[in-house]
Amino acid sequence: MRRHVRVGAALLALSLLGAACGDDDDSDAESGGEAETGTASAPAEIPDGPAISIGAQDFGESAILAEIYEGALGDAGYEVGVQELGGFRDLLFGAFESGEVNLAPDYVASQLEFLNEQAGEATGDVDETFELLQPRLAERDLVGLTPSEAVDTNAFVVTQETSDDLGITSLSDLAENGQDLTLGGPQDCESNAFCIPGLRDVYGLDMSDNFEPLDAGLVATSLGEGAIDVGLLFSTDGRIASEGWVLLEDDQNMLAADNVFPVLTQELVDTYGDDLTGLLDDISAELTTEDLIELNRRFDVDREDAEDIAGDWLSEHGFGD
Amino acid sequence: MSESLRQMWDYLQSDEAWSGRNGLPALTWAHIQISVAAMLIAALVAIPPAVALGHVRRGALAAVSVVNIGRAIPSFAIMALLLPFSLRYGFGLGFWPTVVALVLLAIPPIFTNTYTGVRDVPADAVEAARGMGMSGGETVRRVEVPVAVPLILTGLRVSAVQVVATATLGALVAYRNLGTPIVTGFTSPDKGPMLAGALAVALLALVTDALFVLASRLLVPWRAPAGRTADATVTAEEAAAVAVATG
Amino acid sequence: MSRGAAPLLAVDEPLVRWDWVRDHTDDFVDLFWEHVSLTVAAVGIGFAISMVLALVAVRWRWTYEPLAGFCGVLYAIPSLALFGVLITIPAFGLGFRSALVALVSYTLLILLRNIVAGLDGVAPEVREAADGMGHEPWRRVLRVDLPLATPAIVAGLRIATVTTVGLVTVTALIGEGGFGDLINDGLSRDFPTPIVVGAVLSVALAVAFDVLFVVVERLLTPWARAGGPRRGDRGAADALADARARTAHDQKWIAVGRASAGAGTGVLQ
Repeated sequence: MRRHVRVGAALLALSLLGAACGDDDDSDAESGGEAETGTASAPAEIPDGPAISIGAQDFGESAILAEIYEGALGDAGYEVGVQELGGFRDLLFGAFESGEVNLAPDYVASQLEFLNEQAGEATGDVDETFELLQPRLAERDLVGLTPSEAVDTNAFVVTQETSDDLGITSLSDLAENGQDLTLGGPQDCESNAFCIPGLRDVYGLDMSDNFEPLDAGLVATSLGEGAIDVGLLFSTDGRIASEGWVLLEDDQNMLAADNVFPVLTQELVDTYGDDLTGLLDDISAELTTEDLIELNRRFDVDREDAEDIAGDWLSEHGFGD
Repeated sequence: MSESLRQMWDYLQSDEAWSGRNGLPALTWAHIQISVAAMLIAALVAIPPAVALGHVRRGALAAVSVVNIGRAIPSFAIMALLLPFSLRYGFGLGFWPTVVALVLLAIPPIFTNTYTGVRDVPADAVEAARGMGMSGGETVRRVEVPVAVPLILTGLRVSAVQVVATATLGALVAYRNLGTPIVTGFTSPDKGPMLAGALAVALLALVTDALFVLASRLLVPWRAPAGRTADATVTAEEAAAVAVATG
Repeated sequence: MSRGAAPLLAVDEPLVRWDWVRDHTDDFVDLFWEHVSLTVAAVGIGFAISMVLALVAVRWRWTYEPLAGFCGVLYAIPSLALFGVLITIPAFGLGFRSALVALVSYTLLILLRNIVAGLDGVAPEVREAADGMGHEPWRRVLRVDLPLATPAIVAGLRIATVTTVGLVTVTALIGEGGFGDLINDGLSRDFPTPIVVGAVLSVALAVAFDVLFVVVERLLTPWARAGGPRRGDRGAADALADARARTAHDQKWIAVGRASAGAGTGVLQ
């Protein structure tokens, strides 16, 4: 009799223990996400201030860039972690607002068009576009730092076969001959200025009925296997070249200057000043488009972890220990 | 929460909720289609062997094991696993990985209940049939299966509700159904479509259950022995036999 | 089906990249603890709630149908839909609490039915003997009926736990997940290895729990192993022992049969 009471009590205790252990914080940081105190550098220089939380959007390149920031900042003595957002730009700005995130890598033109609700202000000139972006960021107590020369734009890709069969080599061709083709891409295509709305506004092509939302990692395989006709990939995706696919030419200049750049809160800038912004600027200066292609290749093809890839890039470029 | 409910209300009143590929009707229809497909396939695969085994009163071990194993395998994992292969072998996204996983999920309850139902037909009834000169096959068709109908229906019912519920996961492998707005809603600021989808699929599951209850009332007009329609309650002795077989 | 020229996307992608598995074993351990703690918490809390509900249902019989009905409705709600509703509640949001509430709901029906079936299955002679010995009703329930209902209760816990292990994998979609994280990761990257690992590990965990419960069942019901009713001298004590043994047998297999062929079958995901 007593034994059963004891068993029952044990079960209850165990379950409460389980409940207590399981209730983690909401920050689903990867294992490299804990605060990294610099091993050799002097943390004494860092003023007191908020921990830095870097937002990573739901695709490989964003995760890698976030890890690069984290690695460099951590080595410099900042308290820093990566926050996986599980989504795209709308979640990113929500996280900035709620304070969950205070730094993130993003792309100049896409961010501008997101903030101005697809007003079409972005151009192919990064400086011009960046100028237009800054005031919009300021409205949200955010600051954009100097963009890198590394560029990653959206890329509409078809297989060689499709291109040959339908005579499509540019987006204008697509508008003419490709209305019935299926487009596969990340979910935010429906609201991303450089995806479906852009095709509609600039090329007069409405693909929203033939759109298949897919996880970023699935688009390439789906394209290769013929499950979709047109894939929305990123221009830094090495598989475009290695698979012999056709990147449709943006002959009417829908796409704009999507250079990589860091965006952070005014608070971080005020608290940590030039040391922080200088470090981020250094990273941006070192980053090239070729780098992005290689980083993505290691992620998509070699299946390496973002953290490891980032770590290697940092050591190769003289950051950290 | 009230904000989200308001979003749902707004969404339900909008045009996009009711038209086109992403509208609730289209999604519901896709959901029903795949559930029915999975159930038909599962029934075709599971019922004949279950009837056969029940008739010869063998395979108790199989019946119990099938259920235990089936319970342990997460359908989510199966669908996820099938997707890369489905893509690479030309079966595409969406339908095939989802339906295969659903069939695997649906088989255990149908199999076990059918087996138990046929096997538990009272021995006197079977002997009487033999006595009247019926062959094995006739016994099955005219005595065992009809008597087993309540339990077979229970198995189908349990399966159907699970299939309808699990089909929502198909959204993750690109099968567009009522699960799609739910999944996209997890990380979206607009919870309207998500709540609408959740409500719709919950209703669909409950309706499915109710339909089977109705079907069993219609098909089983006579009052079955107590305790046999609601659950497959195995009698103590026969269950002890199962116990011996399975240790 | 069009295929690229280079083998990058070909079926060469192995089912399991063992080097990746080796590199990530630390993560698997972390995920294991996450998975286990969520499962144990859900079943433990579900058990506590179901026990209370079952005692109420047995004492006031008319409450059983409504209670079972309510739990049944909860059970029928697809997990994804329930998660969706729960995360909109401000106090919950994405993460542990929503996952826990949903998981607990799914255990209620199974546990409630099994506990009640167990309590109902206590042979009348035993009850009478116990009452005859002067137990008040509540004490009799706690000290006689419940222990005798143990086989059915443990059978219910077994099913509830295995079911929960499977459902925990789905919680990966709202930020929890244990091994489901691996499955999700692989799914979004078109990378079979973590999917396979996640699936295998969660099945292994379910089987481990199942075996654990079989062992617990054997330990807690020594009289069931004693081999059934004895013949011979039928004094009150013997009658009680007989009834206990018979009850244990009935209990165990009624519950297993009922639960395995009834609503407890399979995994409601």
